[in-house]
Formats: sequence, structure tokens, C-alpha cells
Amino acid sequence: MLKNGLSYFGIMFLSLLSHLSLLTVVFVKGNYDNIIDPMILSAAVLILDVAYFTAIRFIKQNTYTFDILLVTVLNISVIFQSCFGKVVFAGKHYIFAILALVLCQCAFRLVSDYRFIEKRKYIFYGIIGVLILSILLFTGSRSMWIDLGFITIQPSEFIKPFFVLVFATSLISLNNKHKVLCFNVVYDNWILIGVTGVIILLQWWCRDLGSLPTFAAVAGCGLLMRICYPKAKLSKKLIIGICAAAAVVIVAALKFAPGYVQQRLNVDIWADQHGDGWQQCQALIAIAEGGWFGKGPGHGRLYKVPAADTDIIFSSISEEWGMLAALLAVFMILLLIITAVINTPRSYFHTTLSVGAGAVFIAQMSLNVFGSCNLIPFTGVTLPFISQGGSSMLACGILAGFLKAGQATVFYVPPKPAMRPDAAGRRQGR
Amino acid sequence: MKSLKRGSRLIALMLTVFLIGMGILIWKLMTEASYYISHSPEATLGLVYDRNGDILFDDNAKEGDYPEGHFKDVGNLIGDTSGQMSNTLVNKNLEKLSNYSFTAGLDNKNGKAAIYTTLNHNANEQVYSAFGEKDGCAVAYNYKTGEILVCVSKPNIDPVKGYADIENLPNGSLLCKVFSTTVPGSTQKVATLIAADETMGIDRLMQKSYTCESVYVNNTGIDIICHNEYGHGTQNIREAFANSCNPYFAQLVEDPDWSISDIEKVYNRLGISVNGSEQEDILVSGIVCDSASTDLTNKNEFDTQWGCIGQGTTMVSPCQMMMWESAIANGTGRATVPFLIDYVTNVNGRIVERTETEHTEQMFSATTAKDVRDIMLENGANNYSGIGYPVGVKSGTAQVKNGDEENSLLTGFVDDESFPIAFAILIENREDYDVSTDYIASVILNSLR
Repeated sequence: MLKNGLSYFGIMFLSLLSHLSLLTVVFVKGNYDNIIDPMILSAAVLILDVAYFTAIRFIKQNTYTFDILLVTVLNISVIFQSCFGKVVFAGKHYIFAILALVLCQCAFRLVSDYRFIEKRKYIFYGIIGVLILSILLFTGSRSMWIDLGFITIQPSEFIKPFFVLVFATSLISLNNKHKVLCFNVVYDNWILIGVTGVIILLQWWCRDLGSLPTFAAVAGCGLLMRICYPKAKLSKKLIIGICAAAAVVIVAALKFAPGYVQQRLNVDIWADQHGDGWQQCQALIAIAEGGWFGKGPGHGRLYKVPAADTDIIFSSISEEWGMLAALLAVFMILLLIITAVINTPRSYFHTTLSVGAGAVFIAQMSLNVFGSCNLIPFTGVTLPFISQGGSSMLACGILAGFLKAGQATVFYVPPKPAMRPDAAGRRQGR
Repeated sequence: MKSLKRGSRLIALMLTVFLIGMGILIWKLMTEASYYISHSPEATLGLVYDRNGDILFDDNAKEGDYPEGHFKDVGNLIGDTSGQMSNTLVNKNLEKLSNYSFTAGLDNKNGKAAIYTTLNHNANEQVYSAFGEKDGCAVAYNYKTGEILVCVSKPNIDPVKGYADIENLPNGSLLCKVFSTTVPGSTQKVATLIAADETMGIDRLMQKSYTCESVYVNNTGIDIICHNEYGHGTQNIREAFANSCNPYFAQLVEDPDWSISDIEKVYNRLGISVNGSEQEDILVSGIVCDSASTDLTNKNEFDTQWGCIGQGTTMVSPCQMMMWESAIANGTGRATVPFLIDYVTNVNGRIVERTETEHTEQMFSATTAKDVRDIMLENGANNYSGIGYPVGVKSGTAQVKNGDEENSLLTGFVDDESFPIAFAILIENREDYDVSTDYIASVILNSLR
């Protein structure tokens, strides 16, 4: 039995308790026609809990905290998604939640060994290339979706985890600088900058400008980690230079943004509450109506507004479950990221992966929550793990695997003839 | 290990920025939730009361809940939530009326959110009735404190009866005319008198005597006609003000001792937009009161003279006229800002807002205020003793609809420290046998006494 940051049974109990509490609220205050509906939901949630708690015991790792937090978040998400407007089990969302858990484990396995990734890094560049081509060929210049009839796929969501991954590759090459003119250049860094540029142009082309800040955050954090890689101290001049360049790019992008973006950036939502400001006004009114404790699951009216279960889901949760529940959901996602701060990853590769995954989650949470509440311009992105949407959910599952790998990986340790007892104890410290 | 912790620090930095953002968001939602809820169809609103506890607005009122016509005198002033009237007390203060708290959400059936107004409903109803068949408006306030006591506009609407017959409502039913500009007629001579006194001083002004022979041909050869077909003869400013003599004021405007820019300067300080210059609208407890306007181009031209007499393009709201009266009556040259909301209680019944008396910037000097006050009081004593109070007044007759109709106006104040009331009255399309403005003034003052 491996040691954990939190007791396996302790955190499992807390996870079950949180789900049971929410399900009790559904039974007591929920809006349902038939008692069968909340019963199906409860059974699905509890089965997934028990099954996952059991399954992860067969995966050798240093901590189960992250896994249990993840299934807690996903089941909370299933409960929320099953209640908007009326309590009906959200089967599709449930399936994607399970797939996200599976992908999390797969990604965890994939990135556990740095050498495995490094040898195959061109495959990941290739996957990014294929996804970019699929957007160019199949989505069209004003769309971000590929409609397969029975399902729609958003390829840009799947680019995110691979984009994070490639920033963590070729770390050794950072020591091999080449003289180009009067600059010391690392070829891999320029390749990554090129990939970033292509993705940004692509997002611009297909009008998926909401994802731009997320990609920019990943690229910014990734480059920062790469630039600082071999040095013990950060180069302040370099950081200031990068920040200044980023500021210039942001100002230029805002200035030369298309008309519809400018309009969205400058919209006075209350003056235009039946036009461009409609969604945000309805979202804010819903938060106010819900107050701290909400109207009750299924008793809201925001579900009638487009994107109620995706882009403005923070408000939908606030309306039906109350602001406290919405903050709790956000806090649970934060806990997933915070575990990467508490359990410091044990290699620079995993650190860079954790930073990249953290950047995606934090950027998307900021854009979703602050955007829908009119604190920043509304861009229409999903809230990680909580929003409806298979592509987003699966991409988040992979990114969660990256976060988990940083803290739960059991490293390959070459056999040694003898090991001091105290050193062995330290290795199993978490 | 140090470089590994760099990643944790970077994540911690991003988390910190996000948490700061969340803190700001929660603060924003807490402070603005009442505003958001004011746009919600599910919000419940509190009551609006008059100064004696009489209900002036009840969002849940149905026909039969209140005596017939209970709200009719205040319908287009207090308003409702139907969306048919926008510039009303309720519509402009929905947030304050909201029976809402973030803690309890919408579940506040016994909420105590309310607006307590300064209106005297009993007096308001009497004034409304005094108009009889005529349309118009009347407003009166305490020029020491700024409390609006009477505010009536006819025709009006009883919001409880709904808007099923909206297409057949008389024009102006959904608008409180007290806050809309109208042709002021000779009441504008108060502003012109202030401008002349402020520029020349009372001694030099008193030396200006002009002759009225019923018709005055101005410097550009156009007739200025007096309402007295026999003419007023030679008069000074006091006599001309009392006679409301148009030829005198036309000659005063032409006088070489002042320029058009002198008039414009004082008019601007009075809040009159001259030749399209920018003037801020006056806010009366959120209700927007249009600011006055006129065109002054050449003091020898008819249009400018006609504007200073209160015709042509000159437009003033009764509320703003009343404010000028307060600046005169106070003797300070600074108008008292009128208000309708005395205090506001929140959902728990706690007073969260109380209106304090405020004054405008200096419009004219205290000396001018005293001079004009004396002239108006003399006019009141000589010509309006029938009102029954020591009043300083100026009447006016405004030609509207291309001269087809005449509106009658009266603006003034009571010269009594214990009864400091300023008022403005407009009766539309008045004819000789109709109710008069001094009668309405008398009803206002008697009902408030």
C-alpha cells in the first residue's frame, strides 16, 4: 500500500459525502416529474464513484488524492448537468465523464516516462498537424465544429493537450544553442513559436477567438519554462522583454481585431440587453435570483438561454444551486491544480506539463466565469470538466492525466545493491 | 529542485491572479445584485408611500384593491413596471424598490423594501381635481429643503386599470409634463430680468424707461405686439414686469448697455442651453427633467427678442421655472435641488438612503436675487392678492400650435419663512371662462397649509 497525501479512505469518504449531499438536495428540492429520475442519477453517480475508487487501487501510483478529486468533480458535473430545467439523467455527459477518466489514466501512463515521449515527440507534432488540417478542410472559415451526423467534434479542443505536451519535449536541446546572426537560438523553441503562430492564425481564420487566450497562456508559460530551464535564476531582462512583447501583441491584437470582436469587447451589456448583451445580462440576473443558496435543482429558467450548460454554466449553477455551490465547483477544479503545487513534480518535464495543463484550466476558468459575469469580455469557452461538450471533456481528461503524472508517477529506479533505510523512506514520502 | 519549484510558483502565481479575480467578482456580484434583480421578471417590488404613509405604488394592486382613482393623480409620476412609461419614479428606482437580498434570493414575500416620498397625496389629489376639465401640470416644493410636495400632470392614467385601451388615451397621459419643456411665455421674463439686473445692476436698470404704444417696431423693422391694445405708456422695469409688457422687454434687449453675450452668460448659469450649448439634464430622484433651451443670435432681431420674452424657440420645464423661483426666494441666487424620495428602506426595513438638501451652483448674485424678489413680491401684492398668501409671482401666456392655442402659466413663491413654497403651474389651451392659474396656486397653498 502506497502512502498518500490524504488518507485514501478519508478523501473517498469526503467525495462520497459531497455527492450524497448534492443528491439529497436533488431529492428534496429538485424539480422532477418522477422519482425514478433522481434515483437513476443517484445510482449512476454512486456506481461510478465505487467503481473508480476500486479501479484506481489497481493502478500503481504515489497518491490517489488527485484521482478521487477528479471523480468528485466529474460526478458533481454530472449532477449539475442532469438538473438544468428539470431533473433528467444526463447520460451523454456521464459517458464523456467516464471517457475523460479513462483518458486521464491513459495520458498518465503515456507521459509517466519522459524518455518514451521524447523519442516520439514528432508523432505529437504530427497529431497537431493533422488536427490543424482537419480544421482547414472540414470546419470552414466561420466554424469550429466538424459535424459527423451522430456527433460533432471540436478539433481545436484536442490540439490543447498536445500543444501542452510538445512544449515539454526537447528539453535537453535547450542546452544546444546555435549562433544565428548575433543571437543564440534554440531551434526547438522557434519551431514551437512557429506552431503557436500557426494555431493562432488558424483560430483567427475559423473565428474561434475565445480559445486564443488559452493557447497564448500555454505558449507563454511553456516558453517561460523553457527559457528558464538550465538556469538556477530567472533572467529578469528576458522576462521583462517577453512581457513587453506580449503586451505589444495584445494591444495590437485588440486594436486590429475584427469589427465583431471590437463590438463584443466594448459592448455595454445593460444598454444592449436585448442584443449583444443578452446572454450576460440573463446570466447576471440568474446569479442574483439564485443568491447564495439557489432556487433548487431544476427550478431555474436560465437553461432556456443558449449556452446555459456551456459558456454561462457558472450562472446556471448559481441560479439553481446557489452561488456557494458554484464557488464550490470552481474550488474543486482549483484543488486539482493546487495538488500540483503541493506535490511538486519530480522532473522538469512533468513540471512543464503541469504548468501547461494548469495554464489551460486557469485560462478557461477565467474566460468562462469572468466572461459570463461581464468582468472581462465574453468569449464563450467551456468551464473545464463542468460544461457540456464531449471534445472539451475529453481534452480536459488528457490534461488531467498530465497534472496527475507530475505528482503520482512512480519513477523507474535502477536497482541498487544497497540502500540506506532512511533514503528509502524519503522516496515514498507522499 | 529549485528549478522544479519554479513551475509550482508559476502555477501558484496564476492561481493567485485567478483568486483575486474571483474576489473581485464576488464583490461585484454582492454590490450589483440588486441592480441585476431589478431586471428580473421574478423580482418582487416594495411599496411607494407619500409623506403621510399613503400608498402611491403597489406592484400587486388590482382593480378594487384601492378606492377608484386612488393612483390617478400620480400615475405618470410614480409609474409602474409595465414598461409603458420610462421616466417615472418607479422605473428610475427599480433597484431601490427591489424586495431582494442575496442571502435569501427571491424568497422575500414579506420584504420591507420601500420608497418614502416627499409628496403630499391629499394635496396632490386636490390640485388634480382643481384642474377640472383642463389639462396641464403643477408642481410645488419647499424651497428651503427641496422636498416636492405636489406634482400633478393632466391628462393622467390609473396604472391599476392597465393599458388595454392605450390607443385611446389622450395625448400626454403617459408623461409627467412637470419635467418636460414647454413654451414659457412671459414667465421667461423672470430669467431676462435676472440677466438684466445681473449685468447692469438695479440702479441702472431702474433708469431704463421705454414707451409701449401697443406695437413696437424693433431695429430690424419687425413689430413686437403687446397684449394691451392701448399700450402701457412709458414704464420702468417694475411696471413693465407687472404689466408683462412685450415692447418694453424688446427695447430692453436692444439696450446698448449690455450685449447678447451678457444675456447668454446669465442664461447659461440658469441652466438654459443657448444656441445648442450643452446643459446637463436635471435629475429629480432619478427622473430626468429636460433642461431649458433658447436661441440668441442678434439682439436687434425679432427672434432673439421674442425668445427673451418667452416665445419662439424658448423652452423651459415647469420644474426648472420652480427652481429659479427658489433661487430668488432663498435670496441666495442658488436654487434648491428638488427631490421626490425622502428615504429608502431595504428588504429588512432598514433605512439605507436618505436624501439631503442640496443646492445648485451660483446662478446669480444674492443682490440680484433680492432685487428680483422685491419686484415679484410687488407684482404679487398688487395683482395676485386673491391667492391669499404673500406671494411673488410672474404669469405668462404662451402661444402654441402656431398660435392656435394659448397656454397659461404662473410661477412664484410664498414669502413666508414658516411656509416656504415655490411653485409653477401650466394650464393648457386656457380660455377666459376656464379655471385660472391663480386659482390652482390658491388650491396648492391651501392644501399644503
